[in-house]
Amino acid sequence: MNAFDGMITGFQVALSWEGILFVLIGVIVGTLIGMMPGLGPISAIAIMIPITYGMDPAPALVMMAGVYYGAVFGGSTSSILLNAPGISGTVATAFDGYPMAQQGKAGKALAIAAIASFFGGTVSVIMLMLLAPALSSVAISFGPPAYFALMLMGLTAISSLSEGSTIKAMISAVAGVMVVTIGIDPQTGTQRFTFGNVNLFDGFDFLIIALGLFAIAEVCMLVLNRKNRSLSDDQKLGSLKVSRADLKEMSGPMTRQSFVGFILGVLPGAGATIASFISYIFEKRISKNPEEFGKGSIKGLAAPESSNNAATSGAFVPLLSLGIPGSGTTAVMLGAFLVLGVQPGPLLMTDRPEIFWGIIASMYLGNIFLLVLNLPLIPYLAKILSIPRPLLISLVIMFSLIGVYSISFNVFDLYMLLVFGALGFAMRVFSFPAPPFILAFILGGMMEQAFRQSMTISNGSLAIFVNSPLPLSLILVAFLSLVIPGLLKWRSRRKLAKM
Amino acid sequence: MKKTILTTILAGSALVFAGCNSEESTNGDTGEGGAFEPTQNIEMVAPAGAGGGWDTTAREVARVFGETGIIEENMTVVNKEGGGGAIAWSYIHGQDDSPYNLFVASPPLMFVPLNGQSEVGHEDFTPLANMIADYGAFAVSADSEWDDLNAMFDQMKEDPESVTVVGTSAPGSMDHMQFVRIAKAAGVDPTQIKYVSDQDGGALTSVLNGSVDVFSTGVGEVVEQVRAGNIKILGITAEERLEGEILSDFPTAIEQGIDESFINWRGFFGPPNMDPAAVEFYEAKFQELSESEEFAEVREKYGWNEMYLNSEEYEEFLNTEYQEIETLLEEIGLGN
Repeated sequence: MNAFDGMITGFQVALSWEGILFVLIGVIVGTLIGMMPGLGPISAIAIMIPITYGMDPAPALVMMAGVYYGAVFGGSTSSILLNAPGISGTVATAFDGYPMAQQGKAGKALAIAAIASFFGGTVSVIMLMLLAPALSSVAISFGPPAYFALMLMGLTAISSLSEGSTIKAMISAVAGVMVVTIGIDPQTGTQRFTFGNVNLFDGFDFLIIALGLFAIAEVCMLVLNRKNRSLSDDQKLGSLKVSRADLKEMSGPMTRQSFVGFILGVLPGAGATIASFISYIFEKRISKNPEEFGKGSIKGLAAPESSNNAATSGAFVPLLSLGIPGSGTTAVMLGAFLVLGVQPGPLLMTDRPEIFWGIIASMYLGNIFLLVLNLPLIPYLAKILSIPRPLLISLVIMFSLIGVYSISFNVFDLYMLLVFGALGFAMRVFSFPAPPFILAFILGGMMEQAFRQSMTISNGSLAIFVNSPLPLSLILVAFLSLVIPGLLKWRSRRKLAKM
Repeated sequence: MKKTILTTILAGSALVFAGCNSEESTNGDTGEGGAFEPTQNIEMVAPAGAGGGWDTTAREVARVFGETGIIEENMTVVNKEGGGGAIAWSYIHGQDDSPYNLFVASPPLMFVPLNGQSEVGHEDFTPLANMIADYGAFAVSADSEWDDLNAMFDQMKEDPESVTVVGTSAPGSMDHMQFVRIAKAAGVDPTQIKYVSDQDGGALTSVLNGSVDVFSTGVGEVVEQVRAGNIKILGITAEERLEGEILSDFPTAIEQGIDESFINWRGFFGPPNMDPAAVEFYEAKFQELSESEEFAEVREKYGWNEMYLNSEEYEEFLNTEYQEIETLLEEIGLGN
């Protein structure tokens, strides 16, 4: 069956009344869950498994897929409005989304995020449809050496995430790497920096760091800057309208980052979070005005938003075509498939075409629903900002606490949220940038594991990173991305000097 | 079917056990130290996040208990994630003698404490009943030069550096130790085995692209990949061949002349010092569940094998297993 016949089968499933209804339920539930800091698609899907028990598998899976990409879609809202990322994939969204909201362009920021999400989601579904079988070979071509090189490439971006002092950005990144080593080391089973405290055995959940460094630190700043009441008084929703110029500005990042996000989503272990960071950095690197990034740049908002949504569809490639879950969320999805009596894997496309193509077709529909549902909601959502400041601050604290508590219902995590909140606040005061910290925290852990896996495999020989073309080329790209900007600067300076 | 079970339950609710052939069930005495009947909500802890093996088992067991009415009192599944189970175990350990706090467990309840990552281990809890057995499988890429376990182990004996094993758990835990156990029985030096842990979902990928040589995992994880012709199974850790399409093709280690096996058991425990009456109640209820048609369907759906052990048998089994694992861990220098 080729992709065209397949899609006809798929749309028969997606456009049946059941299909439409369950896509709708899925994306609504997903959006709501994504908006709540801390509630992620993993728990939502896990809770749905017993509910869908005995249901026809196609609509049930279509609904769960809807929850997944709906949550990534909705996760941007709290990032933009409150600097409190709803899910880990939308941390990078806050970098420029929150400044926009502070400048009174909250409505516009939400609209841009929605459009970019829709675009990224749709482009990647098209790629998923056309390339799923072919891409499954890409997904398995990455071994530990290639992952190490990929993470290294991501880490070279730290210099571009820094405002001002590069040294401070580096210190921040090193601190991030140090924090990620806390816990039981997967390669030896040894406890590192846990002080025998069982609560530290698993290390810190990403959300504790993100909500601490961003949301809690932000709240501290808001309390401190009491005189500047702009957030509650003259804060207006601003025009919702995304002008033609804006659209033109975001079209480049949206298109490029939809592809980048999709490819990174395909790789097991990479996923929406890493995709959103890499896309953000990518756009900043190639931008003519990199200084605008972090201050409310439309490009800086559109890039991670199209990328994280594209990565979500990308994650379905290894799941559907190989039966390999590449992330926590897709692992739970795999469980849901099995409970419903469907085995995802290389034979799914031929054995159960209605499910394979039905899910893909439903994603077109789901993305349209998400856009149509979210755009009219924006004025109401943005009103959150006109809540009186004391109330808003308490709400952010409350949601952050609920979010962290719901990770594993452990009170210890709440104290850690406060510790990272205090750290984040101190970093703000002494102008250490938080993004390098969080980037190093995400990439550093995976990089270390990939490095040590490679070393075990190669019996300690570093040649493993240059012996095969994939890791070698990634390391070259990482090297060039460090060197080229410096060279360009040097050349332009020389030109200036000559003149 | 449901109705008959319900009637049995109703009829038997005055008795100690319903529909169970245990000796005590014949005497309907509810006096001194006799019957236990739950009168409040029973909490069933899954010591991991939603979606994993423990969580699935706990949820399915709670669901079938409720649907069949084998236990009428409400049973709620609570996820307590962290420390590979240690956080949940220390929580249950604090519920001394409560008959309303159960949890689901499997070999990590031994591996984690043995690796020094939990203060409490299986001997601190009250075993109620084992329900399921699962087995390990050793998978290689379909184009691997090895066709059976002995071919692989021979190469490991000759050149241990050339073979890398991957698993999804930490060294000293299940995926690692099941491999070590079989390899040692085949004559491989257990201290020379190269093991990498991949907890981010890349283990199977690494076998498929040739980064590592063999994947030590559960039987259930590999069936579909075998069906698609991507990997082949050199051996499984069960004592006898399993039943079912594809599954029955997997050769055991024993039939390849390696006299060793490994069971990934899964069962239920209660807090320390649980009242013997409550233990009797639960072991009988679990037995009834294990024998029910409804739970047979669940087993079939997930590819689990039936392995019911009552409290006493379970304890004995666990103690034997524990000693074996402890010796093996010490031998490879990982025990504490």
